[in-house]
Amino acid sequence: MKKYLLPFLLMIGLPVSAQEVGLTHHRKWFVPDHIKLQFAGNIGFLSGGPGYMSRNQTLETDLLFGFLPQKFGGDALVTTTLKTTYSPWRINLKNSYYIRPFSIGAYLGYTFGPQFDTKWPSYYPTGYYWWATSFRPGAYIGGKAGRNVVLNNHRRSLEFYYELGTYDLLLISYVQNKGFLKINDIVSLSLGLKLGFN
Amino acid sequence: MVLYLNENVNLYRRKNRAGYNLNIGTASESNNLFLSYYHTPKRRLSLLFTKSSTKLKNLLHWVIPGLALLLSSCDSLFQFNPNEETLLDREKDLTAKNIARISALPVSDTTRFILMGDSQRWYDECEDFVESANRQKDISFVLHAGDISDFGLTQEFKWVNEIMTRLNYPYVTVIGNHDIVANGSSTYRKMFGPLNYSFGFGHDRFIFINTNSREYAFDGSVPDVPWLKAQLADNPEKKNTIVVAHVPPFDADFDKNLEKSYSEALGSDPTVQFSLYGHQHRFHDGEFYDDGVHYYLTTSMGARGYMVISTWKGGYKVEKVEF
Repeated sequence: MKKYLLPFLLMIGLPVSAQEVGLTHHRKWFVPDHIKLQFAGNIGFLSGGPGYMSRNQTLETDLLFGFLPQKFGGDALVTTTLKTTYSPWRINLKNSYYIRPFSIGAYLGYTFGPQFDTKWPSYYPTGYYWWATSFRPGAYIGGKAGRNVVLNNHRRSLEFYYELGTYDLLLISYVQNKGFLKINDIVSLSLGLKLGFN
Repeated sequence: MVLYLNENVNLYRRKNRAGYNLNIGTASESNNLFLSYYHTPKRRLSLLFTKSSTKLKNLLHWVIPGLALLLSSCDSLFQFNPNEETLLDREKDLTAKNIARISALPVSDTTRFILMGDSQRWYDECEDFVESANRQKDISFVLHAGDISDFGLTQEFKWVNEIMTRLNYPYVTVIGNHDIVANGSSTYRKMFGPLNYSFGFGHDRFIFINTNSREYAFDGSVPDVPWLKAQLADNPEKKNTIVVAHVPPFDADFDKNLEKSYSEALGSDPTVQFSLYGHQHRFHDGEFYDDGVHYYLTTSMGARGYMVISTWKGGYKVEKVEF
């Protein structure tokens, strides 16, 4: 029995010590790993919300709530977005700075309003319009630069990111009209800040 | 590199191809949120950009303007929602502006104009149309029979307008069913004007009417037949009346309960000899109600065709053109 006890205790101890390194043992599983604030990107003028990071710190998934004021959009629009970004590489720099030179991701936005349809009303024949106007899927590439900091005795990370993205309806327009449309006609820029609680 | 801050969040395409002006929201938003490291590195973002991090700072000093340069030719550097309705001043009230241009044109015994339509997601073909139309002789203006856009997106309206402004002639439009999808009809109102309108030129009077009944769940409000009758009645000079719409009255997307009153309104007016439509993506014509009114449908840009119409006091001629 004693023979097995030590390895057993070590096995329990291992994840505990790993957690202590990450200083994550105080947090419940549902507490977000980070929050983001984003400007533009077809999900609002400003959007923000919580997100979660994968264990290996490369995949982050965010739930963003976006708002576009009438002043900037011609129409006031509220959008919720589920967004996943994969940033495979991290390069550490001096003074706890780091960059993630490449990110790739996709999102699905839902814009609220009676003028937007998910399922077309029954007075349309089946397949009359093939797309939903409420949901909008999109994709982007980008990059990040950040720094690990200590705020009030807590480890935090601050990141700035940019993304160049487009969405389904613009992409299909581009694919079918490569003469008139250039790739920069369908791509737009978004900028964001991330506060990580790691 | 000039950072040009302006409340107008859309980029002015031509200006940006010439220079490097970059609009980022309002001046205050930009300063606070994104450009503060340029001017006030010791404020909130100083955690990210302190003096000790000269390497990163220098890197960003090159990366950010580089990105801006790369994207400065974009139609809209920042986009906030696919359904946003952001227009430049030169993209607003186009119906009124173009009618003013048409009114200033010289009037002769014969008026020649082009009927085209359904440009929806056929930008390359629409460019070819403009080239072909510009080679026609003695054209006064172009009528777009609707379905300017495919998804009802403002961006699509802007692209089609960009192409159509290369015409040597002014153009006016009537709304199509695709132009009503999502925020489309709201954008149409801002960009072009009312959905039902009319104007006179020479011996002719043009009435443009929204006939996209299905988009309004066939609720009896579209087309607005009482408005049409009032417009037809308001013709003291007995000009040729030409009714232009997207969905023809015999189409399944036209309200069956209004088909009779609509066609009878045209048939009972002796100044109406013919009426113009799009929607079915094919050339089609006929006197469908045996009332002396000939209905003409032009084809889509995808099918690469349009019509050249000549009118004179008491007569007209329609030619089909393929490009």
